[in-house]
Amino acid sequence: MNSNIWILSLADSVAIATTLILAALGALFTERAGVLNLGIEGMLLTSAITSFLVADASGSIWFGLLLGIILGAVLAGIHAFLTVVLRANQIVSGLALVIFGTGLANFLGKPAEGKTVRTTIEAMSFGALTDIPILGPIVFGQDIITYAAILIAIVASWFLFRTRLGLEVRATGDDPATVDAQGLSVASIRIRYTLLGGALVGLGGSFHMLAQSAAWHLEATTNGIGWIALSLVVFAGWRPIRLIFGAILFGFTLQLPFTLQAEQITFIPSALMPMLPYLATLIALIALSRPGSRNILGAPKALGTPFVRDER
Amino acid sequence: MRAPFRIIFEQRAETPKYLSALVPFLSVLSALIAGAIFLQATGYSASETYSNMLSDGFMSYRGITETLGLSTVLICTGIAAAFSFQMNLYNIGGEGQLYLGMIGGAWAGLALGPHLPSFVMIPLLLLIGALAGAVWIFVPAFVRSRLGTSEIVTTLLLTYVASSLVKHFINTPDSFFRAENSAFPQGRNVADSAALSPIGDTRLYPTFFVVVVLALFLYWVVKKTEFGYRIQVIADSPRAAHYAGVSANRTTMSVMLLSGALAGLGGATLIVGPFARLDQGITLLGYGYAGIVVAALARNNFAGIIVSGILFAGLRVGGEKLQISTDTPKHIGIMLQGAILLFALGGEAFRRYKVRAVRMKAVAQ
Amino acid sequence: MSNTSHEVASGPYHSGGAAPSALSAHSVSKRFPGVLANDSVDFDIQPGEVHTLLGENGAGKSTLAAMLCGLYQPDNGYIARNGQRVVLGSPRAGLQHGIAMVHQHFRLVDRFTVAENVILGSRNLSFVLDRRSINERVSEVAESYGLPIDPNATVGDLSVGQRQRVEIVKALYQGAEILLLDEPTAVLVPSEVEKLFENVHAMTAAGKSIVFISHKLGEVVEISDRVTVLRGGKVTGHVSGRGATDTKELARLMVGRDINLGVQRASHPIGHEVLQIRDLSLDVNGVSVLSNINFNVHEGEMVGIAGVAGNGQKELADTIAGLITPTSGSVSIGGALATDRGPIHARELGLAYVPEDRLGMGLVPSMSILDNLLLTRDRHVVVDRSSVRPEATRLIDQFEIKANGPDHLARKLSGGNAQKVLLARELSGGRTATKLLVVCSPTRGLDVGAIETVRRLLDDARSAGQAILLISEDLDEIMSLSDRVLVLYRGAIAHETPGESANIATVGAAMAGLTTGDNA
Repeated sequence: MNSNIWILSLADSVAIATTLILAALGALFTERAGVLNLGIEGMLLTSAITSFLVADASGSIWFGLLLGIILGAVLAGIHAFLTVVLRANQIVSGLALVIFGTGLANFLGKPAEGKTVRTTIEAMSFGALTDIPILGPIVFGQDIITYAAILIAIVASWFLFRTRLGLEVRATGDDPATVDAQGLSVASIRIRYTLLGGALVGLGGSFHMLAQSAAWHLEATTNGIGWIALSLVVFAGWRPIRLIFGAILFGFTLQLPFTLQAEQITFIPSALMPMLPYLATLIALIALSRPGSRNILGAPKALGTPFVRDER
Repeated sequence: MRAPFRIIFEQRAETPKYLSALVPFLSVLSALIAGAIFLQATGYSASETYSNMLSDGFMSYRGITETLGLSTVLICTGIAAAFSFQMNLYNIGGEGQLYLGMIGGAWAGLALGPHLPSFVMIPLLLLIGALAGAVWIFVPAFVRSRLGTSEIVTTLLLTYVASSLVKHFINTPDSFFRAENSAFPQGRNVADSAALSPIGDTRLYPTFFVVVVLALFLYWVVKKTEFGYRIQVIADSPRAAHYAGVSANRTTMSVMLLSGALAGLGGATLIVGPFARLDQGITLLGYGYAGIVVAALARNNFAGIIVSGILFAGLRVGGEKLQISTDTPKHIGIMLQGAILLFALGGEAFRRYKVRAVRMKAVAQ
Repeated sequence: MSNTSHEVASGPYHSGGAAPSALSAHSVSKRFPGVLANDSVDFDIQPGEVHTLLGENGAGKSTLAAMLCGLYQPDNGYIARNGQRVVLGSPRAGLQHGIAMVHQHFRLVDRFTVAENVILGSRNLSFVLDRRSINERVSEVAESYGLPIDPNATVGDLSVGQRQRVEIVKALYQGAEILLLDEPTAVLVPSEVEKLFENVHAMTAAGKSIVFISHKLGEVVEISDRVTVLRGGKVTGHVSGRGATDTKELARLMVGRDINLGVQRASHPIGHEVLQIRDLSLDVNGVSVLSNINFNVHEGEMVGIAGVAGNGQKELADTIAGLITPTSGSVSIGGALATDRGPIHARELGLAYVPEDRLGMGLVPSMSILDNLLLTRDRHVVVDRSSVRPEATRLIDQFEIKANGPDHLARKLSGGNAQKVLLARELSGGRTATKLLVVCSPTRGLDVGAIETVRRLLDDARSAGQAILLISEDLDEIMSLSDRVLVLYRGAIAHETPGESANIATVGAAMAGLTTGDNA
C-alpha cells in the first residue's frame, strides 16, 4: 500500500519542502530583524554549485554542506554590508545579489556541466518503521537534513518567542529606534541575523543539490524556489511552526505535476502544470492581503527600511 | 572594548553635481577591477577577457551595431523598471511582461500580418505587444493598489508562469506559434509585413531610434507634465498626495500598467527586429532582469538609461563572444552586471553621506 | 540682566553644599553645524530634588539633557556624577551610572507587552524568559512608586498617560537614580498632570533626582525646587524656591524681553456663516472617534478648538478638509455641502487647510517652494511653472520666508519657514479665494519670533474677514486668539464659551472630561 503514488507523492513533498523550510527560515530570521533579502534565489544557486563542487572533489557530503552554508552566509554578508552599513536600497541590493549569484553559480559550474555528483544524501533508514501504513514513508522515510530542518524550525520558534535574544530580534524588526534607545546596536543585530539567514539559505541550497538534483545542468536555475520561499514567510505570518506546514503544502504543489503526469491524469492540461506552484502561491498571497494598507498580518513593522539614528 | 575611532555618516544637505556623475563611473570601474581579480584567481586571463569584451562590444563595426541593437530591448526594459521604481513600486516582473510582449507580437505578426501592409502592421504589432505586457501586470497592479499586496512577489511569480507559457506555445505539437515541418520545436516566422529589415547587414533595427525617442519623451513627461508631477508627489509623500486630492490608487495603476506595457514593448521589438518569431530561447537571456540593473545604475533617470542601456548591451555582446574567442565562461558578463550594481549601490552611500572617521577621545577640560 | 531679590546667578555656579551633587555639568558646550547649542553651561542636581530646565524651543535645554544622560557628548567641559568626572559615551553608559531619560516621543514597541518593553535591553536577564517572575518584578517596581500598570497589557492599547508611566517604570526598573523628563506634560490632560506630579513627589521622597525639562511656566513653578533658565544656549538665570517665583520674571529670563504672546483683539463685526458642522460623527473600526459635533464659524471670526492631543482633533480637521468621509452628519462650506466630496471640492468651495504635519502632509519635502505652491492649485496637462514664479517670489517677500527663492527645496526650510510657506499658500487662495482657513497646531515647535509672526498673521487674516478654525493643544494660544472656544474631549464638544470670558479652570476641566457636556 505504501507504494501508492499519492503516499509517495506526499513523502516527496516533505523532501522538497526541506529546501523551502530552510530557505524560508533564513528569510524569516533576516526579516524579523527588519532586513529584506530578496537575493535568496541567487544564494540558493551559488551554494548549490559550491556544495556540488566540494562534495564531488572531497567525496564528503558534510564538507559540501559546510561550504554551501558558508557561501550562503558570505553572499548574505554582502547584502548586510550594503544595506545595513551603507544604507543602500534593500530591494535593489537583493536583486543585484540574485543576478550576481546566478552568474557566479553558472560561471563556477562550467567545469561541472552535465556531471552527477559523486555522493548524495540518502534517506535515513528506520527499518521496520517505514512500513507503517501511510505514515511510514512520509514520516520515517526522510533524510537527516529534512529532520534537521524541522527541528531547526521548532528551535527557531522557541528562540524567537521565549528567549531574551528572540525578544531583541523581534523588537529590532518592529521598532529599531526603541532598540537603539535601549543601548543595543541595531546594526549589529541586523547583520548577525542576516548572516544567520544566509547560512540557512546556504544549507537549503546545498541540500537541494545534494539530495534532490544531484546533477548540474548548463544554465541551471532553482526554478523560483527562492521566490516561493519568500512568499512562504508571508504566508506563515513570520512564524516558524506555521512555516513547516506551509512548506509541505507548497512542496506538494511543486511535485504535483510530476505525480499527475506519472499517473497519466490529464484533466489538467500539461501546460498549466508547471505553473501550478506559482499560481497557487500568487493566489495565497492575494488572499492574505488586507485592503488599504501595506500592513500584512504579522509583518515586522520596520521591514525594509534602513535605520538611521535621528541625530541633529 | 571600543574601537579607537568611529565611522560617522553625516547626511549631506546637497550633493555636488560632480559627485553624482563620478560615483556611477567609479562603481563600474571598481566592479571591473574586482572582476579582473576574480578572473585571475579562477585561472582565466583578465586582460584577454576584458580586451576581447571591449573590442567585441564596442570597437568593431559589427560590435557597435550589435551593441546598439541589443540596447534597444535593454533600454525598453530599463525604462519599464525605472518608471515604476521611481514611485517605489517594484515591478520586477519585466522579464515575464517581455515574454508576453513577444507572445502578443508574434500572434499579431502571424494572425494579422498576412492581411495588413507593413506601415500598419509594424506599429500595430508594437502596440499589441505593449498591451500584452500591460495585461500581464494588471493583476499585480490591481492587488497592489487595492489590497497592498507586495508587487515584488506577484510580478515575479507571474514571470515563471509566463516562462511556462512560452515553452508551452513552442513545444505543443499543434501550436499556432510553432513552425511546421521542423525537426525540433521552434517558432514560426511572422509574415514579412510584420518584420523590419535591419540597417545594412547588421543586427541594428530602426526600433532603436523609436526607443531612444520614447525614453527622452518619458523624461520630459516626468519633469514637465501633470502626470509626472503627481508621480513625484506620491513617490515622496503619500500623505501630501492624499491631502492634495491626488489619487494614489489611480496613479499606482497607471504607472504599473505603463511599466508593464513598456516591458511588453521591449518584447515586441524583438519580434519586429532580430527574432521575427516566438523563441523559447528568450527565457535564457534575462533581458527583463537586465533592465532593472540598467535602471538602477542610471538611478531611474530616463535619459541616463539610454547611456547605461548601451553600456550593458556592450558588456553582454562582448561577453557572449567570450566563449568563442577565449575560454572564459560567458557568465562573467552576467556576474559583472550584478557586480556593477552592487558596487553602484555601495557608491550611493558616498553620494548621500559624508563619511568621516572620528577619533574617540576623553572629554577635555 | 538685573539681579533681583531672588537668587539669580549667571556664569559658573556651585551648589554651595558640602555633599557632591548627584549629577552636575561643568561649563559644557556643544556645537552642531551652524549653531552653538550649549555655551559653557553649568548645572547640578541633588538627590531628592526636582530641578527644572526652562527655556523656549531651541534654547538648548534638550541638548543639555542629552549630554546629562549620555545621548550626546560635550565638546568642552565635563559631566560629573557624585562629584566624580565621568564620560557618558552612550545612553547605556548613562544608565550604568543610574541616569535615564524619558523622551517626549516614547520609545516603546507597540506590539509588545508592558513587561517586555520594560525589560528590553536588560542585561541581567536569564536567556530563557521567565515571564511570571518578570511580570512580578515589574509590578513590584511600579507599585513602589505609585505607578500602577498591568505588565501583561499590550502597549499599543494604552493611553498616552499610561505609556508615559511605562517609560518611567522602565527607567526605574533599570536602576535609574536620576530621571530626566523631557516635556512630560505636553501630552497630558490636567488631571493626568496632577497624577504625574504625585509620582514625581513619590520618587523624590525615595531619594531620586528629577530633571524636568519644560517651557510651561505654570507647571514649572508648581513642581520645581530649582529652576535653571536657558536662552540661546546660555544660562540666563537660576531661581530657587518653589512657588516663590514670579512667572513674569521667568518669562523675561526665557525670552530676554517683555513679550506679549497674546494679541490685542479688536472687536469687529462678524459676517455670514462660512462653515457649518451638523451632527458630525465618525466611527473607525468600531470606535467612535467623533460624535455628534455641531458648531459653525462666521466670516471674521476665529473659533478655537482646545483639547489634549488624541481626542479627535486631527480627524475633525481632516473631515472638514474632505480627506475623511464621516459616518454621519454634514460639513457645509459657504452654504454648499462639502461632505464626502473630497479635498479638491472642499477647496473649490473656499477651504484652506494648514495641517499639523507640515513637512510630511502639507508640503512635499523634495519639491521646491514653487512646486509646493502648485500643490493645491489647478495644474494643466503641461505644468506651467513660469506663470506662478512671480507670485511665489512675491509671497516669499511678503511672508518674510527665509529661502533662496522659489526653487528652494521644502525639506531644507526650518520649521518656522515651512509653516510660513504653508500659510502663504493657504491664505493666498488656490482654485478660488480662501473663505475658511482650518489651521492645526500652528506654532508648535517654533521659536518665539516665529510664534509671534504666525499669530499675528492669523489675527490679521481674521481682521480682514477670514473665517478661521484654530485647532491647538496650546491652551494659552487658543484663549488669547479665539473669539469663541470649544473643547474637544473624546470626539465630542464638551464645552463652549466665548473667548473673552473663558474660565481656564472650567476649560481645563472640560479638556479632562470632568464636566458633563456643558454645551452652550
